[in-house]
Amino acid sequence: MGDMEQEQSAARTEELQQHTPSTASSVSISSSPSQSLSSSPSSGPYHHHQPTSSSPTDSDSPGAPSPTLDVISEGLTELTLVIDPEVAKKACQEVLQKVKLLQGEGEGSEGGPDHTLVNGTVHNKPTDTAAAGGGGIIKPRRIHEEDDPDSLTPGSVKSARRRQRHNPSKQSWLLRLFESKLFDVSMAISYLHNSKEPGVQAYIGNRLFSFRHEEVDFYLPQLLNMYIHMDEDVGDAIKPYVVHRCRQSISFSLQCAWLLGAYSSDMHISTQRHSRGTKLRKLIFSDELKPSGVRARQPLTLTPFNPLPTATPALHGHGVGAEHSLSPTKRTHQRSKSDATVSISLSNNLKRTASNPKVESSQDEPVRLTPQREFIKSLMGIGKRLATLPTKEQKTSRLISELSLLNHKLPARVWLPTAAFDHHVVRVPHTQAVVLNSKDKAPYLIYVEVLECEDFETSNVPVRISETRIRSTRSVENLLDCGITADQRAGSFSTVPNYDDDNEAWSVDDIGELQVELPELHTNSCDNISQFSVDSITSLDNKEPIFIAAGDIRRRLSEQLAQTPTTFRRDPEDPSAVALKEPWQEKVQRIRECSPYGHIPTWRLLSVIVKCGDDLRQELLASQVLQQLQVIWEQERVPIWIKPYKILVTSSDSGMIEPIVNAVSIHQVKKQSQMSLLDYFLQEHGIHTTEAFLTAQRNFVQSCAGYCLICYLLQVKDRHNGNILLDAEGHIIHIDFGFILSSSPRNLGFETSAFKLTSEFVDVMGGLGGDMFNYYKMLMLQGLIAARKHMDKVIQIVEIMQQGSQLPCFHGSSTIRNLKERFHMSLTEEQLQVLVEQMVDCSMRSITTKLYDGFQYLTNGIM
Amino acid sequence: MSQLEKKAGLLRRTSSSKKPLKEKVVLMYDEIFVKDDPAKTNPRFWDELFLMKVNLEYLETKLESLDGDEVMKTKDNVNSLFHHCVQTLAEEHQIKVVNALQTLCALFRGVHQKNKSASGFDIINMLMGFDKAELRMKDLMESLDSLLCGEGSESLKALCLKLLLCLVTVTDNISQNTILEYVMINSIFEAILQILSDVSNRGRHGYDAVVLLALLVNYRKYESVNPYIVKLSIMDDEPTLDGMGLVVGQALTEYNRQYKDKEEENLGGFFSTLTSMVGSMFIADADEKLSVQTNEAILLALYEAVHLNRNFITVLAQSHPEIDIPTTPTTPISTTPTTPLGTTPPSTDVMNSSELPLDPNLQTSNLLITFLKYSSIVMQDTKDEHRLNSARLCLIILTCIAEDQYADAFLHDDNMNFRVNLHRMPMRHRKKAAEKNVPSRPLVCAVLDLMVEFIVTHMMKDFPMDLYMRCVQVIHKLICYQKKCRIRLHYTWRELWSALINLLKFLLSNETVLLAKHNIFHLALLVVNLFNMFITYGDTFLPTSNSYDELYYEIVRMHQVFDNLYCMVLRVSTNAGQWKEPASKVTHSLVNVRAIINHFNPKIESYAAVNHISQLSEDQVLEVVRSNYDTLTLKLQDGLDQYERYSEQPKEAAFFKDLVRSISLNVRKNVSLTTLSQDVLLKEFSTIS
Repeated sequence: MGDMEQEQSAARTEELQQHTPSTASSVSISSSPSQSLSSSPSSGPYHHHQPTSSSPTDSDSPGAPSPTLDVISEGLTELTLVIDPEVAKKACQEVLQKVKLLQGEGEGSEGGPDHTLVNGTVHNKPTDTAAAGGGGIIKPRRIHEEDDPDSLTPGSVKSARRRQRHNPSKQSWLLRLFESKLFDVSMAISYLHNSKEPGVQAYIGNRLFSFRHEEVDFYLPQLLNMYIHMDEDVGDAIKPYVVHRCRQSISFSLQCAWLLGAYSSDMHISTQRHSRGTKLRKLIFSDELKPSGVRARQPLTLTPFNPLPTATPALHGHGVGAEHSLSPTKRTHQRSKSDATVSISLSNNLKRTASNPKVESSQDEPVRLTPQREFIKSLMGIGKRLATLPTKEQKTSRLISELSLLNHKLPARVWLPTAAFDHHVVRVPHTQAVVLNSKDKAPYLIYVEVLECEDFETSNVPVRISETRIRSTRSVENLLDCGITADQRAGSFSTVPNYDDDNEAWSVDDIGELQVELPELHTNSCDNISQFSVDSITSLDNKEPIFIAAGDIRRRLSEQLAQTPTTFRRDPEDPSAVALKEPWQEKVQRIRECSPYGHIPTWRLLSVIVKCGDDLRQELLASQVLQQLQVIWEQERVPIWIKPYKILVTSSDSGMIEPIVNAVSIHQVKKQSQMSLLDYFLQEHGIHTTEAFLTAQRNFVQSCAGYCLICYLLQVKDRHNGNILLDAEGHIIHIDFGFILSSSPRNLGFETSAFKLTSEFVDVMGGLGGDMFNYYKMLMLQGLIAARKHMDKVIQIVEIMQQGSQLPCFHGSSTIRNLKERFHMSLTEEQLQVLVEQMVDCSMRSITTKLYDGFQYLTNGIM
Repeated sequence: MSQLEKKAGLLRRTSSSKKPLKEKVVLMYDEIFVKDDPAKTNPRFWDELFLMKVNLEYLETKLESLDGDEVMKTKDNVNSLFHHCVQTLAEEHQIKVVNALQTLCALFRGVHQKNKSASGFDIINMLMGFDKAELRMKDLMESLDSLLCGEGSESLKALCLKLLLCLVTVTDNISQNTILEYVMINSIFEAILQILSDVSNRGRHGYDAVVLLALLVNYRKYESVNPYIVKLSIMDDEPTLDGMGLVVGQALTEYNRQYKDKEEENLGGFFSTLTSMVGSMFIADADEKLSVQTNEAILLALYEAVHLNRNFITVLAQSHPEIDIPTTPTTPISTTPTTPLGTTPPSTDVMNSSELPLDPNLQTSNLLITFLKYSSIVMQDTKDEHRLNSARLCLIILTCIAEDQYADAFLHDDNMNFRVNLHRMPMRHRKKAAEKNVPSRPLVCAVLDLMVEFIVTHMMKDFPMDLYMRCVQVIHKLICYQKKCRIRLHYTWRELWSALINLLKFLLSNETVLLAKHNIFHLALLVVNLFNMFITYGDTFLPTSNSYDELYYEIVRMHQVFDNLYCMVLRVSTNAGQWKEPASKVTHSLVNVRAIINHFNPKIESYAAVNHISQLSEDQVLEVVRSNYDTLTLKLQDGLDQYERYSEQPKEAAFFKDLVRSISLNVRKNVSLTTLSQDVLLKEFSTIS
């Protein structure tokens, strides 16, 4: 039955599309119920089959089958309609009815669900007249109507309704909260997770539409994990939003699909196959959520929930954003087919012309998700193959040749999901790639050249520029800039007149001549000529000789060696050290000069770590917590510095990480420099009193405080120097959150110290008694207080992810409780200060007694 | 010279097998070589002729045996035969096409053998007739082009290439082959490119195509505008360039492999039981056994590509897994694999097989590495003419590479590290380096190693002056690049310094012998100026401050050599004579080296005296050097970082002329139509038709 309906609805969809956008818009724009009903052409066909899918309740609500509902049911093709959509709608409307009631908008049409249901569009009236705040609420309701035909079981709805009736006051407070400006995504997620009331869940599901995309995106792992592992009510509340976003964006689709796969992986294999998560994933991968058919109707779904575009800022943003992304996409897609066919025929004809750069010109993928999936797949494939090779060196050279093959398939409509802007990948400078340090896996770091674009879905894929074209951009003149900055050159060669004893006879003219010659030596021209002038070595006797001191040459050599930013020595066992040490800007410059695409203004360089065989879900969780804490500290004006980095989970054992630029691990620093951390700071930034050093030291302290807190709160373990980076500004950055919360290496239980604080770190901070060390402790205290204030936001991120998870960090039953305890809600600020002192002390001494014991004693003693 | 033999050889080889068929076709040939038009009596004569199995030997002999009068008598019929051959090429009947191609071959060869003294125009007249020659050749080239580019039989394509190679090499001096003028007008360049860009075609015909291209490029290179030169130099199609690189790379790899196999054979069988001392006595024998026929044709192709085409340089660095097995794909991978990313069309075969073979022992390689290995083998032994030429060509190619900015960029790219196992000549005073221990370094280190290796191993009575010059110039060019771009290469410069000093020493000790043949001052000047580069510009490209000290140490340590050199050049330059001028240049160039020696030697001696040490250790000397820089003044010399750019035109023209001649002879010898046995062809076509 369900299938039948799908086909029919698909057919109807086409029909609808042919019915010109004007019908759609007339439906959407209309605020009067009668108009909206009568003008919708699709309601006709809908009625034909409505009885087959809908339940008895259908008769209750004759006006309900709105065109929009019809539209969405097509979108959810994979679902069999076991639940009556009308019931869901009822429940939802009930909630909204309450809202209206509370608003007291003089409508008076309170309470009765029957009233509400008589006409699905009744609410538009109050909306129109409503204050700005109301618009945001009405809007999601429409969505809900459309998107969620099958959400709730009648039983639960009824009970919910009953409950609502019985607790009007509680409900009203809740609703007041929901409608208030304070209500943000975090709260929405929290209520979605905690509320047992389907109505509330459904409401929040709709409410998601009103938030900005980026805000919701932050909680995507949580949303999807709830979708997979929580009961159906929650899932049904979330789904419309997810489906809607998937239609809009390839990137979102893929991210959803990957996360769904990753978070479903802990389920038993038999349940997994039939789980809703797997189904949704399949749906996305099947590419049925493509906008092609849908886009034509988009205004239909879009505008109804956007009746007052200016009502709320969020709403406005959403509406505009959506429209932006939708209309052009549609256009492109139509064109895309012809482009693709043209280029296919072109590529077959490639043979006879000696050069035909236009062959691979812009073409859209007929299958929109495929290129990107293949791209990621091939990156992962490389990682898998590398893992089989025994030595780093073999891995590196294999990596380079693998990537050079990959290059032949670029540019393509592919992008790095970790990047912050839209782009197309045009080239992988394969020689720059390095294998990272890992025992048995082969994570590797690649640099990726991209061209920024308006929208990777619609902008044309850049034309391939053959590698050989590099020659044209790399003439001898340009080459001179490579590797040598202007001031480096200036200081590099100066023939200093040497007033040595035997040179007393120098005339003024000689010096004058020298001075004339000097600027010439400074400029490039000298070198330029040198390559071509055949005018050779014979002119020795013609000129007065120029003398230089051997000591000067030697001195310049050592000065320049010292001057050039300390580079690391190449180590075949640690190839990444050199690559990471090179300052990012220089690297960008260098690669740009060597790239055939380098001259294009929108050229950018990105980098990414490809991890294959590693589960990045914990990393993602940690990254979310870090981001949250960063926001909290910023909000509370605590000058703590941390650097969350982007994580992309593509499956439960693969993913990508955004590398931190200009940072190398402390292990690498120590191994390469063979000196203490403090000496390294002095070498890199200057002596104690310089501003550069002081800035670097402050950066170190601020970041150290942040990460110490994070290590404590999240119980980050396995803290060795290889997992702690040091950036060029002196910040430390912790990476690798493989052991957090309840898991620790080999599960030997807790490491005793709360965080890693070695005496070397303290030395950099200026010693135990120093100001900076006190500043460090103060920052920790402030940070802890601030974090405590917003504890819920942090806990919530973790708690939701615990659902259905087998991740080691959730091992045991007390993970969340322990996490909460670490925020010490019950302590006074003085007690917290003692705690911080204690922790620092303890970490310093690394005493094996349990920190918590000591603290317990202390607090108990006081209390 | 060898033509008679060859003909005899051809007869001998095939006569037994082809006897039964000989009669009929021979009769028909005989009919052609009478005055009357054979078609007169038999209107289907030509049709029938091309259905017959060709008897190459008879036809060639017949053509050869014609004397002047007979030529004039039969000219019309031979013209007619040629005309019908060309016409038949367009036919669908493949056996006829094959026979026509082979007949054409026989015609070209026969006519040339006969008319060794005759001018090219006579030949054209005899084959095609003056008035029709242009038309005939146009038709011929068009037919060949479409056969090569079409979807037809592989054997047929191979035969087309053989015919072209045959045509190109009929004369010893390619530039005297007047018929090629028509090949210039009717270019088959595009067909060659297509073969190179297509995976399966490249596997089968790539080698012939590349050799053909190399030869065509050398037709009247210096006299006229050769369209192949022009086209090759502007070609920028990546797949085609890659394809060409792969063909060259494969041929060189194959050579390297053969050499290695032979070497191992020898070592395993005979030498393993002997001590290295005893073994070294037999090296001369071993060398002969080890000599594998070098392949100048493919090297010439590499040279032309590197020299003429700027874009080809990128192909040199195109990494691919080392292919150790001669892989001529037996099954054509004709169906282009669906590109996973679905956007860009497939480019090349190795590039395209979606996954590389997973073999941990498989080293990543590239054309440049293969070439360096090849060079290291070829340079080992420069005694015979072929190898000397090969070595020279290798060095010329390296010169071109060292001059190219882009090539320099990837040679010095710190991110492209490779292990390059160069072959080293076994020598009495050194052990064969353990091959596995070569570290992975930027490619320029391998180039420098190769140069150092050459310098060290060729100081012999029969001094290869020219090669030494090129070798030192390559080093100079690389250092100029490093100086200009401030690249501090972590290379053990000491090895280079001591090699250069030893070279000077050798020049000095063999002064009289060498001066009789060579201008040794030129080489000495280059070597001293290399030292001057290090002395005056060391701050811009030396990797450590210590390396600058070591340079001084090395100079001071070997001061005797420089002193002697100075005495020698001073002596020569004060005497009037042909070497006065060049010797005085060396005198001038030595000024800084001498300043260093004169500055530090007394200091070191006094240090030894003060501390009562008879023999100073290296560290002590370095200490003295370090503490005495400031009182030393050097003279800045002009033009140290300038060099003459390589140009083929006046200087190398003779070399290339000879080289092409020898390649032509070699190719002609190897292009035997019988290798493509008719039986194979017939078998193939019997199934088709």
